[in-house]
Amino acid sequence: MSLAVHRQTVPTRGVLFVGVGGQGVLLASTILGEVAMAAGLDVKKSEVHGMAKRGGVVFSHVRFGTEVFSPLIGLAEADALVAFEWAEGLRWLPYLKRDGLLVLDLARIVPPAAQRDHRTWTVRYPDLDPAALTGHHGPVVAVDARGRAMQLGSPHVANTILLGVLAARLEFPTALWEEVIERCVPPGTAAVNRRAFHEGRTLEPCALTWAQRWTPPQGVPGWRVAVATAWCKGCDICVRVCPEGILRPDGRGAVEVTVPERCTGCRLCEWLCPDFAITVHSRPAAPAGVAR
Amino acid sequence: MPHILCPGCGHGIVAGALLRAICRLGLDQDTVAVVAGIGCSSRLAGYLDFCTLHATHGRAPAFATGLKLARPDLHVIVITGDGDGLAIGGNHLIHAARRNVDLTCLLFNNEIYGMTGGQLAPTTREGGVATTAPYGNVEPPFDACRLLAAAGATFVARGLAAQPLVLEELIARALAHRGFAFVEVLTDCPEFHGRYNRLGSGAAMLLGQIRATAAVEAHLAPLASTVVHPGLPPVRPPVETGVLVETTRPEFGDRLRAAAARWADAREDHAP
Ligand code: SF4
Ligand code: SF4
Ligand code: SF4
Repeated sequence: MSLAVHRQTVPTRGVLFVGVGGQGVLLASTILGEVAMAAGLDVKKSEVHGMAKRGGVVFSHVRFGTEVFSPLIGLAEADALVAFEWAEGLRWLPYLKRDGLLVLDLARIVPPAAQRDHRTWTVRYPDLDPAALTGHHGPVVAVDARGRAMQLGSPHVANTILLGVLAARLEFPTALWEEVIERCVPPGTAAVNRRAFHEGRTLEPCALTWAQRWTPPQGVPGWRVAVATAWCKGCDICVRVCPEGILRPDGRGAVEVTVPERCTGCRLCEWLCPDFAITVHSRPAAPAGVAR
Repeated sequence: MPHILCPGCGHGIVAGALLRAICRLGLDQDTVAVVAGIGCSSRLAGYLDFCTLHATHGRAPAFATGLKLARPDLHVIVITGDGDGLAIGGNHLIHAARRNVDLTCLLFNNEIYGMTGGQLAPTTREGGVATTAPYGNVEPPFDACRLLAAAGATFVARGLAAQPLVLEELIARALAHRGFAFVEVLTDCPEFHGRYNRLGSGAAMLLGQIRATAAVEAHLAPLASTVVHPGLPPVRPPVETGVLVETTRPEFGDRLRAAAARWADAREDHAP
């Protein structure tokens, strides 16, 4: 792909940045816009930041050329898609030209809505699988930007790493990028951003990361709810506040736990029991018996 | 244990929040003194393993003032109720606040005299039924927080029994405050106030607090003061919660000791 800056008429190109919010999507797109402007091009930009984590969208359209009429990139019109998250990349893939450049951060940020079972942390989230990209014929540069950013000492510079990956494939002068980045990033972070940018420019697509699939965090703790029946007065508070509905009157003036394995350890019952009769233990059952 | 409070009485939740706050601040058991008056809330002091003092009706702030002057090293906590602290002991409470004695005062407001059989309290809502107001209360209730702020308390906060974590945070901040710190906790008395006013069980009353707060947060305050849903119990009119006052002013004991030192110096100067 060539996005060369010529002195003559430059056709309008579009780069779409997408993420889940809080990753610097907007700053990255601002930097690209500033670079293109500094290179003497006309730039238009449009953004929505609606917290993709909560079901909204976070994207920024940047279009630049000799003369740009609309800031919006239509379906299958983006020359490059920079996705700050795997599932977001898949979600916006239809906006990329079939031979466009796909820059992907292999970070996975699972939205709460994808949680199928909050106790076992089962999620429905697309596997990290290149097969999901079949049908796309352009270059794919998948990198572990967040991991590299952590190595550089700041998780916040993942966006600059991705910009570096993009910059290596555009033809704006490096000095221009550096100057704009220095001007746009938060005070005191110029040095680490400069390092991140160069890291991105030289970063090779990481094949290893492709093999990774989503695995739920290990060691989901087991919870044990102990009811001191001698102290319980059967007031019904815990029965009514338990979000899992697993506490119920035992018919003898106290309460019992009906499905212990469904307890999520939220502790609402413990905090709201006026009689100190419930204790939620984070470790599997100790010998029978409850608080003194 | 088990304690004597009625099933569903929110006082125990408040006690739990107090214990967690003390634990969070890492206070040594022997440096904490709890002074309580008379009433259901004040009975809690009997279950706490600190230095505890069960005072006469309404006089807990006065006892606590004396204790704090004698032992400035102690964290002195006053546990009182709305009847104890605002009616019988109203004077002691406002003067402790005026003097800015370094105390933490936890006032349990359940809108009624519970222990003595459900009489009208200075906090009972207008129209509320009590043993001594069988046709409904015709007096406007006190706003304890505004009263104490006006009297000069340097930390004033209000929390809900139904929000134990927020409450824990408020109490922890009150304990860490130097000067008179006042925390009013809206709690429930299902046995009298709830029963007379058909507010449902303790659980229903506490859930009502949550609904009222949610309604206020959703800017439905007018709704919250009436009935949120038909068939559900009416909830207490919305009031401000959280930290309402936080300032600094010289503390009473410090000023008294400085004055005593000045008098002692003056006496020596005039000694023959
Ligand atoms: S909240 Fe406590 S006292 Fe009330 S029913 Fe549950 S365990 Fe028993
Ligand atoms: S901690 Fe208590 S309230 Fe929470 S899920 Fe378990 S039993 Fe229910
Ligand atoms: S009388 Fe009211 S305030 Fe007293 S313990 Fe019973 S419910 Fe609680």
